Amino acid sequence: MDAMIRLDALTKRYPGQEELAVDNVDMEILPGEIVVLVGPSGCGKTTTLKMINRIIEPTSGRIILEGEDVTDVNPDRLRRRIGYVIQQVGLFPHQTIASNVATVPKLLGWGKERITARVDELLEMVSLEPRIYRDRYPKELSGGQRQRVGVARAMAADPPVMLMDEPFGAIDPITRDRLQNEFLRLQEEIQKTIVFVTHDIDEAIKMGDRIAIFGDNHRIQQFATPEAILSQPANEFVDDFTGTGASLKRLNLVRVRDVDLGEWPTAISSVRREDALAQLDEVDQAFLLLVDSNRRPVRWVSRRDLSRADWNQHVGLPVRAQVPLNATLSDALDEMLTSSVGVAIVVDDGGAYRGIVDIDTVMTAVNTLRAETRERVAVAAWHAPAGAVEEGGA
Amino acid sequence: MGWLEYMIDNPGRLIGLGVEHATLALIAVAVSGVIGATVGVLTYRRPVAASIATAVAATMLTIPSFALFGLVLVWFGLGNTGVVVTLVVYALLPIVRNTITGLQEVDPAITESALGMGLSPRQVLLRVELPLAWPVIIAGLRVATMLVVSILAIGAYIGADGLGNEIFRALSNIGSVWAFDVAIAATVSIVIVAMVLEAFWVLVDRLTTPRGLRD
Repeated sequence: MDAMIRLDALTKRYPGQEELAVDNVDMEILPGEIVVLVGPSGCGKTTTLKMINRIIEPTSGRIILEGEDVTDVNPDRLRRRIGYVIQQVGLFPHQTIASNVATVPKLLGWGKERITARVDELLEMVSLEPRIYRDRYPKELSGGQRQRVGVARAMAADPPVMLMDEPFGAIDPITRDRLQNEFLRLQEEIQKTIVFVTHDIDEAIKMGDRIAIFGDNHRIQQFATPEAILSQPANEFVDDFTGTGASLKRLNLVRVRDVDLGEWPTAISSVRREDALAQLDEVDQAFLLLVDSNRRPVRWVSRRDLSRADWNQHVGLPVRAQVPLNATLSDALDEMLTSSVGVAIVVDDGGAYRGIVDIDTVMTAVNTLRAETRERVAVAAWHAPAGAVEEGGA
Repeated sequence: MGWLEYMIDNPGRLIGLGVEHATLALIAVAVSGVIGATVGVLTYRRPVAASIATAVAATMLTIPSFALFGLVLVWFGLGNTGVVVTLVVYALLPIVRNTITGLQEVDPAITESALGMGLSPRQVLLRVELPLAWPVIIAGLRVATMLVVSILAIGAYIGADGLGNEIFRALSNIGSVWAFDVAIAATVSIVIVAMVLEAFWVLVDRLTTPRGLRD
């Protein structure tokens, strides 16, 4: 497959500075993959990203986009082909949300109707109801909502490439998790080529198809899949940077949809209580999961709840720990620990019950993963002893 | 309260002079606005140039108005032209400084995202930076207007129109029964002109500031 983006000995030296900010970076980024640039502050990851759309002009080296050398072309026209999302979002405060999203289509001279249709489509894509948000101003939105608008704005003219500079960095952890999951789901549909900068190794493992770890020497230390980086760090720097708890981090690599989900007894919440009790006896569990008519989880009820004299629709524990199918096992484990019943309920896009994750599911997945990685690394090492594992190594 | 009676008895005369006064002040601020905003736009990205522009405008403001009136008298003779030129010079400082500050204070993340989407630097200036700096620039125009309204009164000395004439008429007849009342009435009228123009800018600010920037 031909590379979507190729960086060829890309180097940046700021005037008056001895040290290079980015030192000879070579990279090939394939169509449809998410490549995460990660590393400590000042390692050159952001500078590298910003050289791709030439917000920062490289000192030397070439940038090849879809086979075309764009190092010296008109930067404004180049940037209209590349979506750009930054941490502070940078929405235009004096323009409505619709007008913000329409920025690039307007530059490209699209017709009015086409722009309106596209804006509505994009807002729906990032889960913002167009009727409500179209005419609002950025200051009327929360941080998470603004970031969604930022993503919609970057995708407006359907650019093949998106550059994202710590897009979820300024958002609270819970919203960040949700935005990450939503974004990964979106990416399955849109299949963009994405270069993503973060300083958070956990985010890198979760988001990246491949990860490039930058070191203090402003070079890439290792450029490989998350599995390879965790199991076969190229050098001591990478090992330190990925940190301890590598096995726990590996839970970030597995999506809930890829494991065999457990089953849990469920009943419609309008169930007769004798039937519910009979069902509990049959499966030998302490709790029964009640779902609504759309199979969305509602409450947990125990045998004792069902035996109460004042039994009604509201007795029992509310359902809290729910994860979508594209959540990671790490997310699921987190939810599980907060759940009163000790399981995380898995729901589909419509919120309907699909199964559960419990501690056994997690253990099985960890064991499988360990075995698989060992095998893959062994095979890779056998076929290409000098480089397959640490592509672009130090 | 002789001055109040004077005002009530001579409304046409004072209003006529007040309109002249306001018109000259606004012409001066408009010309100064074009010059000052241009200087601001040309210098805001270069810190050294911006400091020089602000310093020059500030220095001009320290020249006593009588001295400057004397100079322009040599070039333009008696009349409105020389006075308006003087007022343009005095109005420059608040306009230049506010234009530069307003443009420099635009959040760099906004400019970066604008550039990143493919707006040219010129489009960034016209569509993003100037609209965002607009409320600050308007504030500069307001201050400039106040400054000009008061200095214009002295301009009557070299033949400008406006309420200054009434003051000088009173001063040259000092000692007469009515001189003091006329001087006060003219001064009060100048204050009223200043307040009307202030209200005008508040209205302009309201009408031209995009909703997303208002509190």
